[in-house]
Amino acid sequence: MSTFEGFLIALVKTVVIFGTVVQVAALMTLAERRFSAWMQYRIGPNRVGPFGLLQPLADGVKFIFKEELTPDGANKWIFRAAPVLAALPAMMTIAVIPFASHVTIGGRDFGTLSVTDLDVGILYILALGGLSIYGVILGGWASNSKYSLMGALRASAQMISYELTLILTILAIVLMAGSLNLREIVEAQSSVGSWHILSQPLAFVMFVVATFAETNRHPFDFSECEPELVAGFHTEYSAMKWAMFYIGEYSAMTMMACLTVVLFLGGWSVPFWESAPWYVGLAAFLAKTSFFLFLFVWVRWSLPRFRFDQLMRLGWKVFLPLSLVNLLVTGAFKTFGWNLFPW
Amino acid sequence: MVIVKRKELSLLERLYLPAVMRGLSITFLKMFEPKITRQYPEEPLVKTDVTRGQPRLVVLENDAIACVSCGLCEAACPAYAITIDGHETDRTIEREPKRFDIDMLRCILCGFCEEACPADAIYMSDELELADYSRESQIYDIEKLKRPKAALQKRIDYVNRINQRWQTPSST
Repeated sequence: MSTFEGFLIALVKTVVIFGTVVQVAALMTLAERRFSAWMQYRIGPNRVGPFGLLQPLADGVKFIFKEELTPDGANKWIFRAAPVLAALPAMMTIAVIPFASHVTIGGRDFGTLSVTDLDVGILYILALGGLSIYGVILGGWASNSKYSLMGALRASAQMISYELTLILTILAIVLMAGSLNLREIVEAQSSVGSWHILSQPLAFVMFVVATFAETNRHPFDFSECEPELVAGFHTEYSAMKWAMFYIGEYSAMTMMACLTVVLFLGGWSVPFWESAPWYVGLAAFLAKTSFFLFLFVWVRWSLPRFRFDQLMRLGWKVFLPLSLVNLLVTGAFKTFGWNLFPW
Repeated sequence: MVIVKRKELSLLERLYLPAVMRGLSITFLKMFEPKITRQYPEEPLVKTDVTRGQPRLVVLENDAIACVSCGLCEAACPAYAITIDGHETDRTIEREPKRFDIDMLRCILCGFCEEACPADAIYMSDELELADYSRESQIYDIEKLKRPKAALQKRIDYVNRINQRWQTPSST
């Protein structure tokens, strides 16, 4: 395989994955509205295109043509940079997620369906995931508005407390799989019995809850909590700049759903069919991911918002000690070679 | 002073997760229940006898307009939506409006004109749709307001029935 050919393959993979993620993020805005409507006995947007599927496109056109407002006293450059900073990291982290293995087209193996097969994939995700908070903080600060600033402050406090849990639960998985490479983590869970959700149920629950806090989703959306802060950090944003925050939020959701599937649900592994062809594996991956995406919407329209001090207590006093203990126990099991699941 | 006794939560309750699951299952089941949204342009509005839409002028069987341009509806209108100019003709009932305009952008569909009218000439129809592209087109002139009596009969019957309530034996 020549260098040019390799470059071409990487390019195609990048375009396919990046395009899919942006599309999924757009469709999630529609899904959010449709599912929330159904849960409230309503129908939801169904006018634009078949089943309202072109609604995100119509919204996009609307956002582009709306007036861009910049408040007096706002720091113009940071105000403009913040939406981009909010949207980019989520889209960038998707690069290391492996969607399928051994993609074979016409008898040729194109390797893993991921933009890059990074050996320190998890570190890359955590590093870039940590950056996404800058969009929120800078956006809130540069708006020169008290609501925005409060939202940004809350977001930063919340992110720090939940990032810790997130990292510690991921560490337990890294211990289980013995690798930082996401592809190898998936390969360690080739059969249903070895899925990490079975060996690490506590970590799974904490990870899922932490992803909600990490992506600023309900019931932890304190940075944009409407009854207290108008709209939190994006109070002063309008038009496409505002939409960028949402693209960022939905991309982050997509990313976190993919990550949950990779870490706990065996990625592309199909239950009870270990030699499944790659496209079945890809379909399985997408099905699992869409369940978690649905969970984000589902939880948002079911649960009331926490109080901020409750959120902090949950993060520091419950999740942090629990995840530390979980990590310790996992380490002990690994060190002494015990095995809870002999299969 | 009221002392509120808080119930001690058990460990299971403090975990929240069972309650969360119950909440989730409720919202999930609600998704499959019948929807109450009305798909408006396709599904028309439900119109009953009581429906109080835009006011319309009654045209009698002999093609004459019932209005005598007395100006009472104009005076009763709280939104100043009605403008009337009258003139006299050779008919048995001499007076007739030369001009009768209702600004539908001002009209609040209160029905005071209907109550005020001594000639039973203006009634609230069940017509409600007024969307158009200009403000000028929202000022309805006499030709736009005319409706044969039969078209308004439902509302006329309803108003008569309601008015019966206020009729004492002496006044009839």
